[in-house]
Amino acid sequence: MTAQHGIWNDAPDAALLVAYANGDPSAAQVLTARLLPRVLAQATRMLSDQAEAEDVAQDALMRLWKIAPDWRQDEAQVSTWLYRVVANLCTDRLRKRRGVPLDQIAEPADPQRGVEVQMQDTARLRALSDALAQLPDRQAQAVSLRHLQGMGNPEIAEIMDISLRSVESLTARGKRALTDILQGRKAALGYDDDEP
Amino acid sequence: MTNRDDDMIDDLFGLAQSQTPTPSDDLMARILADAAAVQPSVASASPPQAGFVQSLMDLIGGWPSVGGLAMAGVAGMWVGFAPPTVVSDWTAELVGTPVTIDMLGSTDSYFSESMIDG
Repeated sequence: MTAQHGIWNDAPDAALLVAYANGDPSAAQVLTARLLPRVLAQATRMLSDQAEAEDVAQDALMRLWKIAPDWRQDEAQVSTWLYRVVANLCTDRLRKRRGVPLDQIAEPADPQRGVEVQMQDTARLRALSDALAQLPDRQAQAVSLRHLQGMGNPEIAEIMDISLRSVESLTARGKRALTDILQGRKAALGYDDDEP
Repeated sequence: MTNRDDDMIDDLFGLAQSQTPTPSDDLMARILADAAAVQPSVASASPPQAGFVQSLMDLIGGWPSVGGLAMAGVAGMWVGFAPPTVVSDWTAELVGTPVTIDMLGSTDSYFSESMIDG
């Protein structure tokens, strides 16, 4: 972050978005540096595919840039809006995976870890993502926000614009469904030993 | 569902949460290029478009002005229907005394006779 961005460092996201809409050239850099890691993490955890996650992150931020001139500061927080957009974009992509056999596992990306362990982790993450793809969209979104993002139910309720009771129901049913889907793959994923 | 099933799913959730990818420079560059491509320029930046009614309200000065306009309208109608004497005097001075010309005098009597006869 350069000194010229210093004035924006403590500014709320919405103020940066307004500055961007008003033509400030540095606002987009500060916003991207602030929001992109969260957006990319959410997409990566849901999709377990680096290229797809990057596409979703780029798409989500493009939507943010486009909505900036019409952004109403009293409507929602930028981060809440982005979580919602990313969740929707990810479930769109997961939906297309339904019925497609698991035959594409990304290569290990971290050279520090043992290749075997890395491959097993990658297979497990992909299996989780593919199981997520089998759930109804709203269940997949609620489960991913709760268990992959580690959010609290009130925050999820705000992002998904539903009641707390609905969040509890969706996450409980979603987790149970995921467990059922993955039960048949325990051995293949290395969960047949005493220790996972 | 057994505890070991829960262990598996919780382990998978934990594994997923541990993923904290660092955005690549290439991704950052692509996103900033997008931002620059669709960013409104300073010259074209305009305040949010308001509706027609709101624009009209802004033009005349908001609700207080609308209240004043409404009062003036009501007062105008009142003067039109029941002009105070002083207004009648002023109009007489300005435009002269109005003269009424009865263009339908004979027709009136015709209608009156017809109605009586009928």
